Amino acid sequence: MQFTSGSSENHVCAVLAAQVAELRDRIDGGAAVELLWRTSDVLSQLSGLVLELAKRCHDSDSGLNEQCKAAIAAEAEIRRSLDSLAFEQAQRNDFTCQTVDCVVTALERLAGGDGPAGNRLSLDDLAALYVSEEQRKVHDAATRRFEVVAASGPNSAESYSREGTGG
Amino acid sequence: MPAILVLDDSATMVMSLSRVLKNAGYEVETAGNGKEGMTKLAAGLKPSVILTDLNMPQMDGIAFIKEARKNASTRFTPIIVLTTESGGQKRDEARVAGASAWLTKPTEPNELLSTLKQLLPK
Repeated sequence: MQFTSGSSENHVCAVLAAQVAELRDRIDGGAAVELLWRTSDVLSQLSGLVLELAKRCHDSDSGLNEQCKAAIAAEAEIRRSLDSLAFEQAQRNDFTCQTVDCVVTALERLAGGDGPAGNRLSLDDLAALYVSEEQRKVHDAATRRFEVVAASGPNSAESYSREGTGG
Repeated sequence: MPAILVLDDSATMVMSLSRVLKNAGYEVETAGNGKEGMTKLAAGLKPSVILTDLNMPQMDGIAFIKEARKNASTRFTPIIVLTTESGGQKRDEARVAGASAWLTKPTEPNELLSTLKQLLPK
């Protein structure tokens, strides 16, 4: 796709920034994390009920009492795992949101820049937006690939472009 | 029960950290950025430990740590940085500003609680 005017390119970047920002809000909403918390809370309530049942059948049914105790122990273990999973997921969401923020900021700069296309955001400007080592590693790997493509000439660049966008 | 002040601009992270800390028996106060955290400290909050993110709007983690170290009531309060940032330069900045420990996300609840335990005043 080739843009015919700077203005059109600005608009495309602005729309993309809005699209990605919308995506960010959905990620930060953390529906999966909330489901894990709710599951953990419900398990905790059920565990309380089973404990009450165990107390009531303590003398009358020792077999059921033992099963209740085993269920409570298993529930505690599962709840710890769910909480741990939710904690890890929340952190991964946070990282994803920060990467999305970086893309939104970059697109907004490209959309709002007054200068000629190609001078609104340099690779160094982009790198300054990163907040994690993982982002920098991806950036370095990508720029290294550009260097290889550039060194191989325009035909290779075309071939790389098709490879990168295919599928 | 020791109180922990948690600073993070992600609502999900704040909720998640609060759950882990409350389940471990801590009281939790939260703030969405460094400015809000300073407001709570100025209002008289005296946390045993502060847990802060780095990248936050209005006042980031490094600026917050610097301000907290100027505040008489939090001059020596342990501050743990919990962040996606893993670069050495940021880590040095945080240490110079006065951070006591550094954890990179994703971290596990046990690692967080163990770090907290080590830093809590005996």
